[in-house]
Amino acid sequence: METIINLIQIALLAALINNFVLHYFVGICPFLGVSRRVDMAVGMGCAVTFVISLAAFLSWTFTYYLLRPEAPLPAWIWKLVGGSADAKIDLSVLSYIMYIFVIASSVQFVEMYLRKFFPSLYKSFGVFLPLITTNCAILFACLEIMKQLQNPNELWGLHEALTLAVAGGIGFTIAITLMAGLREELDLCDVPKPFQGPGIALVIAGIMAMAFMGFTGMDQGVKNALSSLLH
Amino acid sequence: MLTTTTITILLAAASLSLLSIVAACILGWANRVFYVHVDPKVVAINNALPGANCGGCGYVGCGEYAEAVANKKAPVTLCGPGGASCAAALAEIMGVEVDATYPYRAAIHCSATWKERLGRAEYHGEMTCAAANLVGGYQGCTYGCLGLGDCVRACNYDAIHMIDGLAKVDYSHCIGCRACENVCPRNIISMIPFKSDRMLVVACSNRDFGNDVRAVCKTGCIGCKRCAQKNDLIQMNGNLPVINYDLYQPDADYQPIMGNCSMESLFFIGKPTPKDLAAVADEEMPDRIEADFKTTVDDTEWRG
Repeated sequence: METIINLIQIALLAALINNFVLHYFVGICPFLGVSRRVDMAVGMGCAVTFVISLAAFLSWTFTYYLLRPEAPLPAWIWKLVGGSADAKIDLSVLSYIMYIFVIASSVQFVEMYLRKFFPSLYKSFGVFLPLITTNCAILFACLEIMKQLQNPNELWGLHEALTLAVAGGIGFTIAITLMAGLREELDLCDVPKPFQGPGIALVIAGIMAMAFMGFTGMDQGVKNALSSLLH
Repeated sequence: MLTTTTITILLAAASLSLLSIVAACILGWANRVFYVHVDPKVVAINNALPGANCGGCGYVGCGEYAEAVANKKAPVTLCGPGGASCAAALAEIMGVEVDATYPYRAAIHCSATWKERLGRAEYHGEMTCAAANLVGGYQGCTYGCLGLGDCVRACNYDAIHMIDGLAKVDYSHCIGCRACENVCPRNIISMIPFKSDRMLVVACSNRDFGNDVRAVCKTGCIGCKRCAQKNDLIQMNGNLPVINYDLYQPDADYQPIMGNCSMESLFFIGKPTPKDLAAVADEEMPDRIEADFKTTVDDTEWRG
């Protein structure tokens, strides 16, 4: 039960309170670039959610087994070559290049697969895939997971990493869809000349970010409510 | 003796190279297994198209039109910006014959400026034709140009301008992408085939009877039917003459038909004639400022 409450808290934090776009300001380029029409925005959001989940799965696996300070694979090799027990091998310097490499090649693979077997799906969101391959929102999720794997006492499991990724992707979808809805309405408005285009879009994004600050503390409230419900 | 540093470097190098070899193998294999055959015709057609992605052909972009042509679902003559040379290139790729094609350009079927048409209520709403058209009562003529410039904003090629509240097409810039035709809420813009440099058009869209037209407009067509006499080119559709461009002869002289018009709603559009140019030759024109792309260095001398 504790685990599920914990997962709900992680999901709420990633999707609403610490929304990737509106709290950390990562993934701004697709947020501004593809938010002109609602259907495109939803497609982009789905693509980001998919890629972020794939990236989280891969980065958690690589970090857990290879890149974190207490990773089993380097320790095993160290023992194999006869190293002393008190020295440790730390490969975390490789994390950035490893994430980018693994995410880029796996997304490339998925894109080819989609193109061959699901042409209609490829047509509707395949164009977004190469765009978001090494998007900062994706790398941010990977680094967030890496951060949670540094402390050996509170290691994140795969389920927690995936929850963060999926919820983060949903949060991105919510933000970009709301933005697209606003911008569609904006087409009918008399925007002053200097604000037209990216200017008013950034102003709107700022106001939306302030509105999303209203969710702060909601995770604690939901957690308390769920705990009191259970006990 | 192996130290932690050496083994870290070795392990880092080994794991990354191993990973890249594995990924290269998988991607290379996938590239072969998941290979999608693209019709070489589609590629050739795509290269022959202008690539403006204007959507004038009715497809989303040049790529989709190329696919439709390659699958024989679309004729080769639809590309407005590409014109006759593009149609010929596509016809050669597809191995079909193509008749003479003419570039389609926008024609505005209204000739009334602010002075010539009756305004009714004052309008303070959204300054777009679409909004003003919904509200109604903005101007007397319910058929003609509203003058708020939806077409100007829709044009990506700077080919349409508002002059005294009337849209005018600049035919040296128009590529026939139909953006203005689609956006005009009153449907007064249509695409006509430019069979010669200058084309005769009916510059009025008012379908009412003569008296009602005169009440709201000084230049509108009153439906006198004089232009439709003694020729097959012009037919009357209710109170409004319609030119049948299929019968339009590129080298015929339509000056007399234009001279027959008792109002000023039948005239030529397109390139100005030498006579027109001579008429304005001694008028003073503002110097046109051309962009100078030779240098980005600003060598302005500031004084004072």
